[in-house]
Amino acid sequence: MVQSITNSQSVEWKGYEKIVLRFFSAYFLLQIIPIDPKFYQLLFSVNWLQLNYADIFNLAHYTPQFFTGGQTFANWLVIALLAIAATFIWSFLETKKGHEADNNTLYYWIRVIVRYRLAIAVFAYGFIKLFPLQSPYPSISNLNTQYGSLTDWKMFSLSLGIVPNYQSFLGFIEILSGALLLYRRTASVGAFIIIVFTGNVFFSNLAYEGGEYVYSFYLITLALFVLFFDLNRLANLVSFERPAVPNTWHPSFFRGRLKYGRIALKTLVIFLFAGLYGFQTRSAYKNSNSYHVPNTKGLPNTSGIYNVTSFILKKDTLVYSPNDPVRWKDVVFEKWNTISIRSNRPVIIDSNNVEEITLDNKDRNYEAEGVADRHYYSYTIDSLNHLLTLHNKNTHYVNETLRLSYSIKADGIIHLSGVNENSDSIQVVLNRINKKYLLEEAAKSGRRKGIKI
Amino acid sequence: MSSLIDNTAEVAQPDLMNEYGKVTRAFFQQEPESKKVPGWKAYEKVLFRIGFIFFVSICIPNSVEWYKQLININWTNLHYRDLYDIARFGSGINFFGNTIFGNTLLGYANWIITLAIAIIGGLVWTVIVRLRKKEVNNYDLLYYWLRTIVRYRAGIGIIGFGFTKLLPVQMPYPSLGLLNTNFGDFTAQKIYWLSVGSVPWYQVFAGIVEVTAGTLLFFRKTTTLGAVLLFAALGDIVYVNFAYDGGVHVYSTYFVLLAGFLLIRDVPRIYNLLVLERYTVPINYYPPFKTKWQQYSRIATKAGVLILFLGVLYWLQYVNFKFDPYKQPSSAGVKQLRGNYNVTEFRLNNKVIPFNPTDTTRWNEATFENWTTLTYTVNKPTPIDLSNGGGDPQRDINRTFELTGTGGGRRVFHYYADTIDKTLYLQDKYKAVPDRRNRTAGVGGDGGTDANLKKQGASEGNETAAAAKKKAAVDNWISAAAWQHIGNEVDFIDERAASTRRDREFAENAGKFDKRKRQVLKYETTDGSHIILTGINENKDSIYVVLDRIDKKYVLPTSTLVAGKY
Repeated sequence: MVQSITNSQSVEWKGYEKIVLRFFSAYFLLQIIPIDPKFYQLLFSVNWLQLNYADIFNLAHYTPQFFTGGQTFANWLVIALLAIAATFIWSFLETKKGHEADNNTLYYWIRVIVRYRLAIAVFAYGFIKLFPLQSPYPSISNLNTQYGSLTDWKMFSLSLGIVPNYQSFLGFIEILSGALLLYRRTASVGAFIIIVFTGNVFFSNLAYEGGEYVYSFYLITLALFVLFFDLNRLANLVSFERPAVPNTWHPSFFRGRLKYGRIALKTLVIFLFAGLYGFQTRSAYKNSNSYHVPNTKGLPNTSGIYNVTSFILKKDTLVYSPNDPVRWKDVVFEKWNTISIRSNRPVIIDSNNVEEITLDNKDRNYEAEGVADRHYYSYTIDSLNHLLTLHNKNTHYVNETLRLSYSIKADGIIHLSGVNENSDSIQVVLNRINKKYLLEEAAKSGRRKGIKI
Repeated sequence: MSSLIDNTAEVAQPDLMNEYGKVTRAFFQQEPESKKVPGWKAYEKVLFRIGFIFFVSICIPNSVEWYKQLININWTNLHYRDLYDIARFGSGINFFGNTIFGNTLLGYANWIITLAIAIIGGLVWTVIVRLRKKEVNNYDLLYYWLRTIVRYRAGIGIIGFGFTKLLPVQMPYPSLGLLNTNFGDFTAQKIYWLSVGSVPWYQVFAGIVEVTAGTLLFFRKTTTLGAVLLFAALGDIVYVNFAYDGGVHVYSTYFVLLAGFLLIRDVPRIYNLLVLERYTVPINYYPPFKTKWQQYSRIATKAGVLILFLGVLYWLQYVNFKFDPYKQPSSAGVKQLRGNYNVTEFRLNNKVIPFNPTDTTRWNEATFENWTTLTYTVNKPTPIDLSNGGGDPQRDINRTFELTGTGGGRRVFHYYADTIDKTLYLQDKYKAVPDRRNRTAGVGGDGGTDANLKKQGASEGNETAAAAKKKAAVDNWISAAAWQHIGNEVDFIDERAASTRRDREFAENAGKFDKRKRQVLKYETTDGSHIILTGINENKDSIYVVLDRIDKKYVLPTSTLVAGKY
């Protein structure tokens, strides 16, 4: 302890420490520096003049993948093996040269790279929560879906979607920890927050069968590496109640041009991943243009849930029945161009639990993912001929098309006729239900008063 | 203790200290004999006096109910709630009420009043000390004891809370009736509770975090880590309670406040070490505990707390999880009557009402839960119980998680089953003013809602609640013969979960019924797949209902952790 105080400028490295440092340097470089061709495909497909937040998010969400399919820990194994090989070669070369790189400088740079990588990652997730885009408010269809018909991951996301301000709070914590990571002296505090925060995300992903458990654990490993630098002194201070020695090694090479280079790089990261990205996610939120929700308008003045008062299939009138396999039970028109139909026809669940942002309208499938109970259709309107063409949004039913002519008899009464997915003729009368949601009514009146609904 | 002194001796070289920058003030206090030692600054002492009064006030229970329950505990036949009630209280000075200008300030008003009194008390204390010219050099010893009180208060409290998650009963897995309810027909509070309850392993994880944080607070070396965990976890829960209107915001803030207090000592040191990059020596004062008597009582107290709140409470909570999950009824339902049912036929006063989702009298779909509950939906507005459905009711009728915060026209009835005469005696589980929960919780412990606190006030003011109970006592809607067949509810539970607490509550309420809607229905079935219910409903109309079981497959996964034994 006392020795390290008197010898403040350079910390002596033990033999095994050097090897461990080399291993982790190689390991994290391989994890962080993009070596996967997919990254460059993505990078070169970006239109830099019209850079949008989806591109930035997807670039920030990079991890190397050696295996097809989703993210797996097998990728880490490959990287660890490569890092072991690199460590051997490195050690061999340095012994041969009889001169070794300055370990303090090496440690400094690796920690810088890990800090920035981690900061970028938490900014990417933080801003789509701060401006609550990640879990949008449930659609009318989702509000009218039985709880037991949701996958656990969907249920988790919908539960977050009803409280945008809580989502913003979570985003704020992520961004705060990212900001702390950008500065050497506060990096460990940021890393600690991430370990607690992303630790919870990791367990949520495991428990709710989310698809980001590998990625969230990846972020935790980065945070652990950042925190490790100060772990010993922190433990001495708060736990063992011993005197704690601060970091005494400072980079001495930021002089002249390098000094400006450092400032320029830092500014660039902040501008790209906080400034520009933050601005764009904010605009998307302000314009109600979540990447999860289509932004094509639906049939005007139709949004709501409708009871199916009459249903004629091939000239047979089908009466209300809880068991009928064909008859529709209710129909939802969203504000955007989605119609969902509830019936007893089973749904093969379209599940997606990985965050990848695409702004293309046809990929805005959140409403239809992870839910049974209803079939979801995206539709186009031919207002001249009063014709709707419906395409099933679920990837298991891509070829399913319904062509229905519509007539709006009065406010809240819609007649549809045409052919269904089996090319059978149908005639349907829809009556809008004046549905009051307890979720919204209780929020208005507060829980302390009585409510009847 | 000795290790601490050894460590500091190793580096106690003043020249080194000077060389390496600012050293925490506390360092010098290590050697009180030294003339150099600066005592606490005047403002620090004043702040400490205020803080001392404030934190002692909120950490020591001051509600009569709390002490009553403590005295009445039968330690030979415990229920988890006996210990939970010791752990779960808020406190504060409430001689001057709990409102500021008639406003409870979301329940925080009491703390502000307590703080105001603490400030006055702290200033008076300061004046007295100065007048008597008995100014002390420091409050190290008193600070140690204050921290100890707060550590144990926070640790015990969060462990009491944490075990209801670690053995997942605080948020139950949704019953069939809840699974069949549309997402938009729940309150936000309910949605949050269900989102945790649906995934019991996540709830276990949350429980482990809370119990770990609490346990770490019992030990000096791990107190800071425990306080950080507590601060982070409960800080999140405070926000959750505001966002989802969960109603437990005051009690969760309580822990954030206590954790914050415990962190005050170390945060400046961490700042000094990491941000200012200065050499930092933590010196914490600990009383010597010189005599054998002191040492033994310290060990005995600590061991007692650990055994009671980690060992015994774990066991009691396990028993609760296994046989008596406190938010869902504990009596098994009739074995044949279980599952999801279509209402195939429905007659009201002998008139057939065909299935029609818009009809306002007909049952739409029905569920018989694993326990003694029948639910069905009717397309007609019905009053909603907006409470959390918690508390400690022992009788199944008052365990309301399956209906609180839930709309969609669902009606929920508790039944007593006479399986010999094949008759169900049903009572509506909805009650306009829910019973008061968490009686012992006290100020800031979320002891009740405005509605039922008022009701309690009314009954104390010579009102009719007691009289109404007496009147209800002569209610004989279930005949003595039927009771013979039904049996005694207190014994329906697995005998391993029997407790004095349960016995007392049943004894107190023997033969009494709240005013509720009732139905008496006979059932006919062979194996439960096809059931005919006939009888008189809550509107005194005769009904005839045919139920056919459906094999409903849910998308939401079931868990390997299932509470209760049915």
